Amino acid sequence: MEKLESLETESSMLMAKRPYLRKEIQLLEQFAAIMSSESSSTVARVLKPTILILIAVVAISSRLFSIIRFESVIHEFDPWFNYRTTQHLVKNGFYDFWNWFDEKSWYPLGRVVGGTVYPGIMVTSALIHNVLHFFNFPVDIRNVCVFLAPMFSGLTAFSAYLLTKELKDSSAGLLAAAFLGVAPGYISRSVAGSYDNEGIAIFLLVFTFYLWIKAVKTGSAFFGLLTALFYFYMVSAWGGYVFITNLVPLHAFTLLLMGRFSNRLYVSYSTFYAVGTLLSMQIPFVGFQPTRTSEHMAALGVFGLLQLYAFAELVRGYIPPKQFKALLKGGIAAVVIIASVGLTILSFSGVIAPFTGRFYSLYDTGYAKIHIPIIASVSEHQPTAWTSFFFDLQMLIFLFPAGVYLCFKELKDEHVFIILYSVFASYFAGVMVRLMLTLTPVVCVSAAIAYSTLLDTYLETSEHVLASTKPAIAVTPATPAVIEAPTAATSETKVAGKKAAAKAAAAAAASAAAAAKSTEADAKAHAKATADGEKKRFPIFNLDSRMLVILQLTWFLFMFAWHCTYVTSGSYSSPSIVLASRQQDGSQMIIDDFREAYYWLRKNTKEDAKVMSWWDYGYQMAGMANVTTLVDNNTWNNTHIATVGKAMSTSEEVSYKVLRQHDVDYVLILFGGVIGYSGDDINKFLWMIRIAEGVYPSDVKETNFFTPRGEYKVDHDATKTMRDSLMYKMSYYRFAELYGGGNAVDHVRNARMPSEGPTLSVLEEAYTTENWLVRIYKVKDLDNLGRDLKDSTAFDKGRVRKVSSLKKK
Amino acid sequence: MAVISRTLFLTLLLALLALLSASPSLAQSHQDNEVLLQKKVSRLEAKASKNKGVIQLDSLAFEDVMAKPRNYSMVVLFTAISPEFNCVPCLNFDPEYKMVAAGWSKLANKSQLFFSILDFKAGQAIFQKFGMNSAPSVLYFPASSSYSGDASQDRYDFGRSGFQAEPFAAWLQARSGINVKVQRPFDFMGLAVKILGTFTAVFTVTVFAKKGHKIFTSKYFWSTISMIIIFVMISGHMWNQIRNPPYSMPTQQGRSGFIASGFQNQFGLETQIIAVLYSLLTGAAIGLIAVVPRIENPVGQRATVWVCMGMFTLVFSVLIQVFKAKNPGYPFTLMFR
Repeated sequence: MEKLESLETESSMLMAKRPYLRKEIQLLEQFAAIMSSESSSTVARVLKPTILILIAVVAISSRLFSIIRFESVIHEFDPWFNYRTTQHLVKNGFYDFWNWFDEKSWYPLGRVVGGTVYPGIMVTSALIHNVLHFFNFPVDIRNVCVFLAPMFSGLTAFSAYLLTKELKDSSAGLLAAAFLGVAPGYISRSVAGSYDNEGIAIFLLVFTFYLWIKAVKTGSAFFGLLTALFYFYMVSAWGGYVFITNLVPLHAFTLLLMGRFSNRLYVSYSTFYAVGTLLSMQIPFVGFQPTRTSEHMAALGVFGLLQLYAFAELVRGYIPPKQFKALLKGGIAAVVIIASVGLTILSFSGVIAPFTGRFYSLYDTGYAKIHIPIIASVSEHQPTAWTSFFFDLQMLIFLFPAGVYLCFKELKDEHVFIILYSVFASYFAGVMVRLMLTLTPVVCVSAAIAYSTLLDTYLETSEHVLASTKPAIAVTPATPAVIEAPTAATSETKVAGKKAAAKAAAAAAASAAAAAKSTEADAKAHAKATADGEKKRFPIFNLDSRMLVILQLTWFLFMFAWHCTYVTSGSYSSPSIVLASRQQDGSQMIIDDFREAYYWLRKNTKEDAKVMSWWDYGYQMAGMANVTTLVDNNTWNNTHIATVGKAMSTSEEVSYKVLRQHDVDYVLILFGGVIGYSGDDINKFLWMIRIAEGVYPSDVKETNFFTPRGEYKVDHDATKTMRDSLMYKMSYYRFAELYGGGNAVDHVRNARMPSEGPTLSVLEEAYTTENWLVRIYKVKDLDNLGRDLKDSTAFDKGRVRKVSSLKKK
Repeated sequence: MAVISRTLFLTLLLALLALLSASPSLAQSHQDNEVLLQKKVSRLEAKASKNKGVIQLDSLAFEDVMAKPRNYSMVVLFTAISPEFNCVPCLNFDPEYKMVAAGWSKLANKSQLFFSILDFKAGQAIFQKFGMNSAPSVLYFPASSSYSGDASQDRYDFGRSGFQAEPFAAWLQARSGINVKVQRPFDFMGLAVKILGTFTAVFTVTVFAKKGHKIFTSKYFWSTISMIIIFVMISGHMWNQIRNPPYSMPTQQGRSGFIASGFQNQFGLETQIIAVLYSLLTGAAIGLIAVVPRIENPVGQRATVWVCMGMFTLVFSVLIQVFKAKNPGYPFTLMFR
């Protein structure tokens, strides 16, 4: 709704800018006439914060679907780890958290949590929690965590406003804020309960960029310092800080290439780099990376280059041109040689690390598939189909290039930044679905620029005049930032003259002074623009053309809002630990098997029970069931994961050895065959086999799991290896009994199962949840009489049969 | 002299002993087999050397080659090259396979293993025998094994290893123990293009130094490049690059051949269509922003506004329809129901 309002403000603000009215234009003019310039500027002053607050409210409330539908609960997988560490932090204090060695994960290896985590999000919520408690608001830490991402989305919208204001004007800023507040591309990672790094990182990303642009514009060390501080916050919060580390130097470098070196750039970049790098090294997980890895080299290189350039500029002032030229040539050659030799030596001697795998997979897209199955197996590392772009951004996606075009038209320092950001973010978003997140802010910003320029053009009521006659107000909406100030100044003095109000005059003078400052900086660009001979611009003559465009655009805004709500509510608001499905009569059925199983584990196993599962459920088990896990979503040790994969995919005898070696007490699997939940372990099984084969090629062979026709089957046609594998046995153990012996159908794979199900001898079924979604098996102890477990099971069965046969008699 | 004659005698004696020990009646069939095998191998060698290491098979030849006296391993590529099958991966893999075969035929012990191709047209019976319902597939038959349709076969996994020659060679090495070096044929064409390109670039830069400078500092040059990159990326080109989908499919039963069904799937042509739609939309927006205010004639201006806005709405509606085709549950439409 408040997009409409923002539209109204925009028009009112436009009135404020150019209050003298044009005679021919009837309707809009009358509307403008009602609002005299003075009142409209007051209105704008009140409306702007109101709109921003409303945008924040909408941004927050559209992220609450899952809480209203289910409850205030932490979602998915990674958030559970963050939640667990936050709990630890709140309970034991910061220093204990910093030194925390978690012996309950990656059994028997353990994990140094303090040194392997981005602590930003945990510290943030702990801080909020402590402040609230200080003021006697007894808020549970869980609720702080659940609502953290929505709260920060409000701040993100505000920083989008600030950023866009620097690029165009505040009306575009309001639009950008509204867009970013509801764009599904960002909501996908920041719904309530999705307590993950991205939740605060996107705010930090946008705000750091805003501060950087502010720093470059003003050339103040203060803003450079602020940029560095927020960069530090970003480093502490998300691995995606590398994007800033590369984009900002790239911007500086491009400006250098464009011949736009200035003291402003020098001061802001040097402050940012020096302080930011030192601060970022305080995070243990980052450590000395900024001086060693290739991802950070660009920033260092540009820093050096800027120093050299500034030094050359300095020398130029003292030496005659001819000598300077010779000196420059020699200097450049020397620097190039020293730098290249030094870099080669350092990288070959191993001081500088090569690209890390995850990062490298961004450049060579085939790399991950072949070399790192564990990365390729994660769905968010897949490339992005065009539908995802449209789904996440709807109309913004094609307004976005128009905004980039307008940035090219302006091409001041800050526009160069947006252009670079657009190009690189769209490439990265194309390579990895997950990086849609970094693209979304720039899409919103530049689409807002395009959209608000459209509105400017078609709502404009002021006189359009030729550049040659009135240079001060010649360049109309395309360059409003430049001419805004003089126009406003003239208009306000006019008003002052009319009404003879000293107050207004003073305000005008102040604003003119402020404007003069910024205009000075842009004088060069402006002069160039006018020198190019801006072609004639005319107003939109016909009311019908205006109405057509404005009404259509408004309608598109409605559609955008509907689309966003539809996507958010339908696709991005599922907590994925609680499932909802519709029954045939339309009533909702809640499937709460995960929590049921984890609760069972928490209550029925001994405190130090070790539970093996595929790594996807590691964080959830640790967080909800409080048991020791073998592997979890922090996939740092491929061998360990492969060991689990081997235990799952080999026969009982082989697997039992692995289970015993790792002291496993229980094995937990997901099985969706009963209710048709397609994300279960049998469907993930191929990845387990693949990862296991990478480490244990002699024990696991992927081809053995395929039928001769190359199909992956679980029914009668399943291969022997498949039927012998522990995973298959655990999944289908007693499955046929559920259907009374015959007609057992696996609803995920649409397979008719054999009536004789698999038998288990080294495991016994411990618990199966209501909908069979989670099954837990207990690993049997060694046999008392030293028999093989298979024999003892067979013996037990035999005896049972005998007893029953005796009874019959 | 005496020494020489003695050695001669000894050799003769040995030869005689050898002849005697191999009883002719017992070894007759064995020897026949040997001879047969020798003949077969030499025939295969001849065939292979004629065709750069690849033997083209049909149903009969396949049976013959696989028949039991066999001391060599076989790699068989089941494929469907003919254009009517429209098997893009078959066409993609064909040159890679031949490359590995050619690499093999240069080795000394080449008669250990033969590369062969069985096209669907020539060997339908064999395809049926193996229950093959997709192509291409590569099967490896070790020398010792007796082949039969239902035995578990050693199949090359395209899904995991891809269609490149190198992983295929590695797969072979794991089986035969011999390292085949894949030598990609030297790309003279590519080199020529590169050299020509460099020359042209250098030429342009030197001759039109001033103009070149103008181009590289031109806003329009860079804006064009940036816009192209952005359009290519947001229309999902990287997905194509990584997943290698077919360019389009033959139209069948009311399903258009250029839009893939399924939300996370797309064709090459489809992304191009989307890129065009996006650029039309962006073009209309830019037209409304930048072109319209430059038109002095009110009638002309009005016409332009209507045309631009009409195109904008129309193309947007089309885009939503295309999206609906991929995601049938999508509830919104613009102009078309």
